[in-house]
Amino acid sequence: MDRRTFLAGSLGASLVPLMSRLAFAAGKPVSWWYESAAPAQQEAIAKVLVGGFNAGHPDYSLAVDYRGSELDKQMRVALLSGNGPDVVYTAGPSYVAPMARAGQLLALDDYADKLGWNTRVLPVFLEMGKYDGKLFAVPKTYETLGLFYNKAVLEKNGWKAPTTIAELEALADEALKAKLVPFASGNAGWRGNNEHYVTIAFNSIAGPENVYKALKGEIPWTAEPFVAAINKLNDWWQKGYFGPDYFSLETEQFFAQMAAGRSPMLPSGTWHFQYIQSYFKENADQCGFVGFPSADGLGGPVYALGVGSTLSIAAASQNPDGAAAAIDYVFSPEFYGAMNSVWQGEWNTPLVDLSMVKISDAVPALYAETMKTLADSVAKNQYGYTSWTFLPPATDTQLINGIEEVWLGRSTIPDYLAQIDATFQQEKADGKVPAVPAR
Amino acid sequence: MHRLYLVPTLLINVVIIFIPAVLTIALAFYRWDGIGMPVFIGLANFRQLLTDRVFWMALGNNVIWTAIFLTVPIAMGLLAATMMLVARRGSAFFQVVYFLPMVIATAITARVWQGMIYSPLTGIAGLVTRAGFPVPNPLTQPSTALYGIAVVDLWHWWGFLCVIFFAALRQVPQEQIEAARIEGASFWQMLRYVLLPGIRPTITLMMIMTIIWSFLVFDFVYILTQGGPAFSSEVLSTLAYRSAFYDLAVGKAAAVAVVISLFGLATTAVYIRLQAKEFDQ
Repeated sequence: MDRRTFLAGSLGASLVPLMSRLAFAAGKPVSWWYESAAPAQQEAIAKVLVGGFNAGHPDYSLAVDYRGSELDKQMRVALLSGNGPDVVYTAGPSYVAPMARAGQLLALDDYADKLGWNTRVLPVFLEMGKYDGKLFAVPKTYETLGLFYNKAVLEKNGWKAPTTIAELEALADEALKAKLVPFASGNAGWRGNNEHYVTIAFNSIAGPENVYKALKGEIPWTAEPFVAAINKLNDWWQKGYFGPDYFSLETEQFFAQMAAGRSPMLPSGTWHFQYIQSYFKENADQCGFVGFPSADGLGGPVYALGVGSTLSIAAASQNPDGAAAAIDYVFSPEFYGAMNSVWQGEWNTPLVDLSMVKISDAVPALYAETMKTLADSVAKNQYGYTSWTFLPPATDTQLINGIEEVWLGRSTIPDYLAQIDATFQQEKADGKVPAVPAR
Repeated sequence: MHRLYLVPTLLINVVIIFIPAVLTIALAFYRWDGIGMPVFIGLANFRQLLTDRVFWMALGNNVIWTAIFLTVPIAMGLLAATMMLVARRGSAFFQVVYFLPMVIATAITARVWQGMIYSPLTGIAGLVTRAGFPVPNPLTQPSTALYGIAVVDLWHWWGFLCVIFFAALRQVPQEQIEAARIEGASFWQMLRYVLLPGIRPTITLMMIMTIIWSFLVFDFVYILTQGGPAFSSEVLSTLAYRSAFYDLAVGKAAAVAVVISLFGLATTAVYIRLQAKEFDQ
């Protein structure tokens, strides 16, 4: 082989992978910044989201870039400077209104009409994504709060899953006597976990009607139902329902505590379904879930509605049609089934009709049943309000941090609620309260 | 012509220090959510801080932090450095050992202490508790959270001071040390009358820097407690961070940053005066 042939051959060989890459990336690029994801979750995104979308949309080439837990800060800076990805992933509806007001997001109404989102997505979620009458965001996932429990622990002690607050307290008192921690819980990894319990108290004790009125500014957060709710939550803390290690335990640690039988119950959100197989292993059917019991007079359990992340299109996007196609793909029954078969609780898109969805048999049936119950409750307008979805940012921060002061005796309940109310009224006056759909 | 040599550093300082500093000071007089258009509100952010009890708690914690770091690590560093000077054998080994925590990333140090030492589940504290000697996690008690964090930072920091002081002590003229020995000075007399006066400029500089760094402390607090529980370990920088990125109150965060800078400026002014006095002498 002479030198010229060798060089030509080498050059040709080096271009082979590049050519296949060029062929693969022939479509117009669509960029999407995602938060942090574990390796298995990144694999699911690569296979189901990116692979599935690119295979079905040869005109586009979707790329997901992982930005970690600081995504929302990076996104704000990027959008402010006129850059950022095509698909805008926000940390919830409270972030959408300021971005829409600043002209950083594209109105999605035309895409909603053209792609049929108005009929495929639960209407309440389309209302939540509106600002000034225009649609700017759709939820990537929605969730609710309830009560996980360890069936084996309950059976062993002759206990039943509670359906009323009285039954819940009786069970928790029995658990304390049996040297168990009644509620597996903690906030070492994420201080925001505090708000899950405040949200439960507001919705299941004060009631969703009162929360709705407070969100609309019709009653203050210092009203008697909220005082009673926080009073009850504080009673639970003082009695030791949350255990001695609340400030030391991270989310997976307290889930493991329940799976190991050291706690009978775990009050939290549906995103915890993703841990069942990891911690209950072959006993996944031993994990139960019910709506959180509610106070007398509120009827059945209240499903507080939460949207932890939303999807929008950047106003400066070079490929808005591609971004809309990617969002549309996320709202397909095929994607819902495939993604929820490998990763539960984080991709629960608000589809009206779940009958076309096929989830793997390996996933506990409880998950699909719970999501269906939640979808039905939302469709019937029987839902509550999570703090991280419906409260403006500073009010939510006050709610999260202030409850620790109540629990630890450094603030009174009236003072705590007065601070929440004062912050809320200020943010309401500033137009920062997210859209609240009519009941 | 020689002034042209200043241009590169001047340019860097203007771009990455002066302009952001001016913008931060300006933002302290605006209400801004970090997304839309800022609105001028005069001194309202500072007035809000004056009535914000969390701000005063955070300021108080910064003062406590400064007091701890002006005494404990400096005393430990001086003592260990002096002992290394007196007993030279093994001093290189001890320097490496003392300095080692400094080269570990703060995030890793914090997570190690959180998970392997303080945790009641996975840490030494839990092990001791299960052996029948209850040891509470200091990070979970409002009365001890700040001190629990300070211990971690001390472990990470004092060795650095020790190495700095040791380097300074080695510059003290050997004749003075020998003379003191011949005169029969004890260890403490040697320390008090020969070594400490010999390294006073280094101690002063480290104390000034300690004050400035104490008002900037963020990483260990944020990783270990995020300012909790119940704001008990909140410091000015975590308050500024929370205001800017969680409350979307960038103006208030800028006002807190200005307060932090005022402490730094005041300390720097004191240092410059001290230096000027020394030159005069």
